[in-house]
Amino acid sequence: MDNATATTPLPELSPGELRRFGRHLVLPEFGLEAQRRLKAGSVLLIGLGGLGSPSSLYLAAAGVGRIGLVDADVVEETNLQRQIVHGHTTLGRQKTESAAARMLDLNPDLVIERHDVRFGIDNAVELISQYDVVIDGTDNFPTRYLVNDTCVKLGKPNVYGGVLRFDGQLSVFDARVGPCYRCLFPEPPPIEFAPNCAEAGVLGVLPGVIGALQATEAIKLLSGIGTPMVGRMLVYDGLDLSFDTLNIAKDHDCPVCSKAREDIVLQETVMVCAAPVGRSISPVALQERLKQDKALLVVDVRNPSEWLPGRIAGSLGLPKPELENALLRAGAPPLPKDRDIVLVCQSGMRSTAAIRSLVAAGYDSGRLYNLEQGMAAWPGEVHPPETCEPQPS
Amino acid sequence: MAVLKVPSSLRRYTNQQSRMTLSAGTIQEALEHFSQGSAELRNHLFSGAALRKFVVICKNGQDIRLLDGLATPLDSADEVQIFASVAGG
Repeated sequence: MDNATATTPLPELSPGELRRFGRHLVLPEFGLEAQRRLKAGSVLLIGLGGLGSPSSLYLAAAGVGRIGLVDADVVEETNLQRQIVHGHTTLGRQKTESAAARMLDLNPDLVIERHDVRFGIDNAVELISQYDVVIDGTDNFPTRYLVNDTCVKLGKPNVYGGVLRFDGQLSVFDARVGPCYRCLFPEPPPIEFAPNCAEAGVLGVLPGVIGALQATEAIKLLSGIGTPMVGRMLVYDGLDLSFDTLNIAKDHDCPVCSKAREDIVLQETVMVCAAPVGRSISPVALQERLKQDKALLVVDVRNPSEWLPGRIAGSLGLPKPELENALLRAGAPPLPKDRDIVLVCQSGMRSTAAIRSLVAAGYDSGRLYNLEQGMAAWPGEVHPPETCEPQPS
Repeated sequence: MAVLKVPSSLRRYTNQQSRMTLSAGTIQEALEHFSQGSAELRNHLFSGAALRKFVVICKNGQDIRLLDGLATPLDSADEVQIFASVAGG
């Protein structure tokens, strides 16, 4: 690490810190010097969700000197199934504020720098350049690629963690000495193969496992102990409770890390469909069309628990698994084939997949519409599900 | 028979089995065998004849891009791992 090799003297520990970190100091592999390196070190934690929760707590408790927190969101009740740095008392508050309070309760000597912003091209270099190590606790592919590319450009190690359902992944991407994220995954999946945790689900404790391992790797990088997970990927299977360590390769033709750092130009990563089917409709266009076209059928394919905040008035609730099961069964089609249908989910991914299933079952793709960006971008009113059942056309 | 480890995201195609034994001489044959009978699974793994760029295949813990790619030979003692990028955090 840069801070380990710097010529500036490492900071001394106060008597209180010597007491607090006594269990570290007695470890022969760790000891006083590693603790002083931690105190001199800094970490940028991008995302204070499931992964960022345990890593923020353990980094604070371990004695890292300075931690930057990046998250633009506020704490919501649905976060608390896995985001254990937050709590009921901080619902509605900025996640950075909520996490900082808990972290300072663990270690009041810690310096916390809050960045209540969405990590993006306009602030990526400025944020990452201020810290020694980056922890990627983000929840979407475009941000993950931007974190990677910025770390490569600035020569920073990126402690990567990813979770979905029961599976977790961990690696340290440091393009100076090993592969980067793009070497492993040159492109994001097409939208229909890229559900997020809200759509596919995640066992709440899973990001706890992976986030704690991310903190371990960051502590190793800062303190100079052990062997970081560079060039290796840990794959965790929570259902089987198995850990596989896989050797991963640097791609010498990588579109990012094969370039000179100064030649790397940061770009947005755009998610696309593998092979678009059906048509798309914007939220505004759907609002207009619903006023005029009484035969238009809106089908909400989210899970029933997601309908609770409300559905589009007149929409039919038919969860995607039920729709697909019905399509596999012989008998009457689950949806009319002679009407235009708008498929709706939370973000537009499951509805895209539902359209694909309908087309495969013989529906006319010209009559199937996907609501762009789903209910997350719906600007209109929603109504309790029990009042939404569609009227016969 | 080589063993293929199936990530939880793909177990709906294997009756929730986490491991499959496959008679296959190469990684290509193993994946063809695995995706036999499900166009959706094949579409998940392949774009045309090429592996999708968000899917990584390892043989005994080694990325097949470090070996002979899809032509990497298999024998009965080998284990094949599949994993795909996940964005959740």
